[in-house]
Amino acid sequence: MTVITATSDLKRIRSKVTQILGQTGSVRRPIAFLIIALVISTLLEPSFLTVRNLEALLVSSSFLMVIAVGEAVVIITGMIDLGVQSILASGGMLVAFLSVFGEFPAAISIPTGLLFGAVVGLVVGLLVTKGRIPSFIVTLGTYWGLRGVALIFNGGNYISPYSVTPVRNFGFEGIAGKMFGVPNLIIIAMVIIAAAQVALTYTPFGVWLKSIGSNEASGRTVGLNTDWIKISAFVISGVLAVLAGIMMTAWQSSVYPTTGAGYSLQAIAGVILGGIPFTGGRGTIVGAALGALVIGLIDDMIVLLGLPALYQYIFVAIILVVAGLQARSKGFVK
Amino acid sequence: MLEQTEANDAPLLAIRHLNKSYGLVKAVNDVSLDVKAGEVVGLVGDNGAGKSTFLSLLSGYNRKDSGEFVYKGKSVTITSPRTSRRNLNIEMIYQNLSLAPDLPVWQNVFLGEEPRRFFLFLNKRQMIERTLDVLEQLNSKVQPTEFVGNLSGGEQQLVAIARALLFERDLIIMDEPTAAISVAKIEDVLQLIRDLKKHGKTVILVSHRLEDILSVADRIVVFSLGKIRDILENKNLSIEDLVRVMFQDRNRGEGQA
Repeated sequence: MTVITATSDLKRIRSKVTQILGQTGSVRRPIAFLIIALVISTLLEPSFLTVRNLEALLVSSSFLMVIAVGEAVVIITGMIDLGVQSILASGGMLVAFLSVFGEFPAAISIPTGLLFGAVVGLVVGLLVTKGRIPSFIVTLGTYWGLRGVALIFNGGNYISPYSVTPVRNFGFEGIAGKMFGVPNLIIIAMVIIAAAQVALTYTPFGVWLKSIGSNEASGRTVGLNTDWIKISAFVISGVLAVLAGIMMTAWQSSVYPTTGAGYSLQAIAGVILGGIPFTGGRGTIVGAALGALVIGLIDDMIVLLGLPALYQYIFVAIILVVAGLQARSKGFVK
Repeated sequence: MLEQTEANDAPLLAIRHLNKSYGLVKAVNDVSLDVKAGEVVGLVGDNGAGKSTFLSLLSGYNRKDSGEFVYKGKSVTITSPRTSRRNLNIEMIYQNLSLAPDLPVWQNVFLGEEPRRFFLFLNKRQMIERTLDVLEQLNSKVQPTEFVGNLSGGEQQLVAIARALLFERDLIIMDEPTAAISVAKIEDVLQLIRDLKKHGKTVILVSHRLEDILSVADRIVVFSLGKIRDILENKNLSIEDLVRVMFQDRNRGEGQA
């Protein structure tokens, strides 16, 4: 039996691991996480690997994946958005309120909701950049404040088509339907992930986002308007959070002021699991979405195995620490 | 003092009666300087002599109180780093280089001025090819796809300089380019500066290392107490000569103002 004592052995193993898993930020890492999670799940519960269950998993994870895309955009710049779950809830409530109580068609209520998300992002971004308040504090504010806003719409009650008599449909139930046998929710999530990944990799805007996370001075010295780039990151995050809220509302046929509770931290966990270092500068959108999928998968497995929900928290905690280890960044840790 | 060695060409950049005060402190006090095309100007002076403030006025980070910049015979205004780059065709290379370590070389050199395809997308092929061209001009083996964070200090300096060549800047300002790199690599950076001159570029170089300044500069501008104390032709100058000029005020006590 060989005992690893020499540091050179450790180094060799580490470089081997790096070779397989790629550098910090590489999409290979979340793929590895997902494969491991899929293998373990299948071993524990053979019925896991059925088309029906996988489809259910993708549908129930689609909301988190959409939020994680926005969260990834923010974290890549080195900031954070803790408020996404409250934007989701308040945006979802707003859209449902407009549709059911306001009797507006979806063509008005949905754009209004998305605009609400954009305005929230704009305000957050302005407070962070022009107000010079750390994003953690500003978005802690939206986290609490928009929870309150979500309670306003129907006096703290949920909204569903049955909230009014006669019953009035949302008008966007089709979002939870299927196209060519594929759930629309999965299609929407995939389109968002693909579009965001293309933007990050193939457009100047993507490069600018990363440059801010990597070294904000790099953009400033060449004359980039780094403030507006940061603001747009929060706008993207806000809009996607409301979109996830609309998707959830359609899926559940109702929306609660508490809908999406816990999603902020789960999205952040997904992003970290996706290999994006907390300091930003690197990483992929696809990785963040896969990370969110792993979080969703743990949820799914807990249900399949009939375990109490407390295990979910424990598993997520363990995985998060592992993810944090692999997403370590060079230099100082704040 | 201002000897016109090549009388035929007008200065690339003429700085006229530049002033900048912070409260009662005149950080830059009536500074006038002609910079000729294709020359390397060294700026020296003790800490607080006004070099950094002078550079910040030139690069647009601070606004002058009064004075004038004349670039290629035309008076120009500088209100921000952006207008400085546009109106003076300047590339400012800071001591910390301001590169993004997580981005590859090709994305760093084009940052903020990316050539595009279909209006929206990076023209990656063109960016990599042009980066490679410029790196070859600088006799470097650095690959465009390497991450800047994995490069040595000297190589990073080279990447910062590559930007200047890429965008065909006339005037390159380097603030302490040899401060952060190993002694063994300093000569490489100095050679880069000589190469820039060979490419017809004008370089303003600030350094605490007087031997570096003496090794590459055509003229040496000595700052003291916010003013230009003297402008020396770099011919048979020694470090001792330079130090004597730099500190002559102090030796004289409160001499001329």
